[in-house]
Amino acid sequence: MVRYVIRRILMLIGIVFIISVGSFYLIHLLPGNITTIIEGPGASPANQAKLYKLLGLDRPIYEQYFVWLGNVLHGNLGTSFISQESVASTIRAALPIDLEMIFISQVLAFAAAIPMAMRSARKPDGIIDRIFGAGSFTLLSVPPFIVIILLVLFISIKLGIPHTGVSTYVAFTSDWIANLESMALPAVTLAIGSFVVYFRVLRSDLIATLQEEFITMARSKGISQRRIMWRHAFRPSSVALLGAAGVNIGGLLAGGFVVQFLLAIPGLGYTLIAAINQNDYLLVQGIVFVVSVGVVLINFIFDFIINIVDPRISRE
Amino acid sequence: MSNVAVSEEQTSIVERPEKKAPLGPLFWICVGWIALNFLGAIFANVLPLQNPLYQDYASINVGPSLHHLFGTDDIGRDIFSRIVYGSRVSIAVGFGAMFIGFGIGTPLGMLAAYRRGRFDTIMTSFMYILLAFPAIIATIAILSFWTPRSLLKIIIVIGFASVPLVYRVIRTATLAVSTKDYIIAAKVQGATDRRILLKELLPNIAPIGVSFLLIGVATVIALEGTLAFLGLSVSPPTPSWGNMINESRTVLQVNPWLAIFPSLALCLFLLSLNFIGDRLRNHFDVTEVKL
Amino acid sequence: MSDAVHELLVVKDLSTTFTTMGGPLPAVSDVSFTLARNETIGIVGESGSGKTVLSRTIMGLQPRTNVTVTGSVLLNGNEMVGATESFKRALWGTEVAMVFQDPMTSLNPVMRVGKQIDESLRVRLGMSKQDAKTRAIELLELVGIPSPAQRYMAYPGQLSGGMRQRVVIAIALAGSPKLLMADEPTTGLDVTIQAQILNLLDDLKDRLKMSVVLVTHDLGVVATRTSRIVVMYAGRIVEIGSTRDVFSRHRMPYTRALLDSSPKVSNASHTRLVAIPGRPPNLLQLSAGCSFAPRCSFATDKCHKERPELQAADEPGHAFACWNPLPTTMEQQS
Repeated sequence: MVRYVIRRILMLIGIVFIISVGSFYLIHLLPGNITTIIEGPGASPANQAKLYKLLGLDRPIYEQYFVWLGNVLHGNLGTSFISQESVASTIRAALPIDLEMIFISQVLAFAAAIPMAMRSARKPDGIIDRIFGAGSFTLLSVPPFIVIILLVLFISIKLGIPHTGVSTYVAFTSDWIANLESMALPAVTLAIGSFVVYFRVLRSDLIATLQEEFITMARSKGISQRRIMWRHAFRPSSVALLGAAGVNIGGLLAGGFVVQFLLAIPGLGYTLIAAINQNDYLLVQGIVFVVSVGVVLINFIFDFIINIVDPRISRE
Repeated sequence: MSNVAVSEEQTSIVERPEKKAPLGPLFWICVGWIALNFLGAIFANVLPLQNPLYQDYASINVGPSLHHLFGTDDIGRDIFSRIVYGSRVSIAVGFGAMFIGFGIGTPLGMLAAYRRGRFDTIMTSFMYILLAFPAIIATIAILSFWTPRSLLKIIIVIGFASVPLVYRVIRTATLAVSTKDYIIAAKVQGATDRRILLKELLPNIAPIGVSFLLIGVATVIALEGTLAFLGLSVSPPTPSWGNMINESRTVLQVNPWLAIFPSLALCLFLLSLNFIGDRLRNHFDVTEVKL
Repeated sequence: MSDAVHELLVVKDLSTTFTTMGGPLPAVSDVSFTLARNETIGIVGESGSGKTVLSRTIMGLQPRTNVTVTGSVLLNGNEMVGATESFKRALWGTEVAMVFQDPMTSLNPVMRVGKQIDESLRVRLGMSKQDAKTRAIELLELVGIPSPAQRYMAYPGQLSGGMRQRVVIAIALAGSPKLLMADEPTTGLDVTIQAQILNLLDDLKDRLKMSVVLVTHDLGVVATRTSRIVVMYAGRIVEIGSTRDVFSRHRMPYTRALLDSSPKVSNASHTRLVAIPGRPPNLLQLSAGCSFAPRCSFATDKCHKERPELQAADEPGHAFACWNPLPTTMEQQS
């Protein structure tokens, strides 16, 4: 186990290193003078000189990278020349919104997917299983942007739940009820997408697990069906579920921008799109780096959880 | 391995039907729907459709009628005609990108799994590192910097972004197949690598490949819709399903048809693709190859 | 009905038929036998003979769908055929328990072995957490597991096959069952471990006053440990009798073939074992005659056309199903 964790951490460091190189190069891949790209053609020579020095553009590229990496390791992702704000503090302000949104959506998704998959797997191809299966399959084919449109169209407009405009977003600390109201729509949207994946993965694994001999063994002990499902079948069936959750949550961090953009929730995704539109390349670079590292970290954490849940894996 | 024999005794006869899962009529309805969309996209010019760009200011935001089957949008363009023309973008992006993704990913994945050794190690680590990057952000970043945007550029970027995923699926599938007895038999009989790869391995991984391809196409089409929302897809006034849904947002309360019909077109198309892919996978019983 | 009082288990005309895509599959047909308290009976047959399905049907553990069970199983006076799951659940563990054949698959891989023993004690016997743990460790000791307190915390994957099978036995014993169904309890194990496990079962049976149904494909396993033997072929009993009768006065050619195909210490070295020619029949396409006829060197036309019923042999309790039985005078083998 310890050896496994060490190996994974080394791999993690390697991947983060490569991500940092990739993020760093993102700007250098652009054609033209970097200072002009970053600050725009109208930048003053003084600002250009400042940036030139900051990026160490007079030095060889690998040195520039290490200068940049050194700054990043000190939490300095640069200062946006558009907003004049530090990239790190912009990200620090936006990230909690993503995390809250993801957290709520995942609670909803698991709360629906687990009991429904349990119910479905008990009688595969039974009526309930067929209904759940058809429903989840249909939802699988509805992209999140359409979910939002439909939710806004059929629920939000009718019920008067806030659905658009940055002004409607309220921080959790200032008014948590208003905050949850503004989170309802995006969280439900993300939850639907996650639910479909979790339900389908867990159902098929549960069905496979229920064929196993140790389930018959548990049955022969005379314990209840309910106990067999939760105590014996659930845990060995949750490996793929956790794997899917890792990928999916990473995907929400990276792909949450659709929902945020449409509902004007000022999270990382929203900030990223805004930065792209304003050609705020330093901010784009910062967000790409932070999100990529975040995705890798989430996968790492879930790998770790999987190992705890199923002790067979690290032994292999 | 006596346990295997005995467990077969209890389960195989009972629960494992030897027959392949039937495809069913719904499968063929879905195939028909996809075919219909293809025909519409190809023959849009020839079909008696209204000009998708023509703005009829006399009828703005009207509901479905005989004259405008699906109604008109906020500048009086015929929604039905725009949906038929819009399918061109979705189909081109979906199948085009997967053509690139599979064109590169399949040979690499098959070679890596067949050759193993150093080529496999290097190739696989490289692809897995690429997979660690959030592809969607990379796609957006590149598309936003690579101006002016065009359909071809979108296809290229998404296509290349999908290569690592395709590689992983194909490699896993090939690995599973290449340990089978008939492949080993072919090797022992001295068949050339080329022959084994093309005549033995390729047909056997094709079912997995095709079902993944269809699901991949569906994913890419949804992604194109997302890009349209961010203004990163084909630029208006060219209709695409994503564009249309995006444009509908501002008039949602006035004209819900503008949102509903393109959404329906998109969802039905995706549903059909997913359904065909899923059925094929069941039919060929490839679920045990974890993708 | 006095049977029900004296006998722990009365199986009568038991049939188990699976519904498959290829039609009905009779895995067990018309099986009848009884088992007294504190007795061990052996059920012997090749794989595919229906002995595993039989042992599960007796317990009522058959799959819940696509299966039809007819006949009667009286377990300590309780009818198991047609009983509801909750009725059977009340008997499982305390009246009857099963030792599964493959300890690699029958233990929950992600649950500590102690918890798997605790479960029966706590859920079925209502013990407190602490009592259950103490008892579980006692059980682990009883089945001969060294340093049981440590093994209590182990995952199945951390134990050897023999140890795992001992754990499986400990779980089966947790509810102090009156009847223990042992379904090929040693098949998945090394030969050296096999004897240990079988001796353990034998020993426990006497100490805990249990009856045991020992299912196996290996006649050597049942020779010294059972009082009676049931020989099965294609889902039917083809010979039944006391262990001694079956070994030395068997009448059914199939029993003879089984005996010839198992290795014996008395054989000279390099003796070639006699394999039974052909394969067990496809249960979906059984003929009207004796199922063994296609592989039997004594088979006549009648054998192929008409199925022999069980008929009594000279010895009490000994019966066989054969048109051309082996002569009684044959005092074979040692």
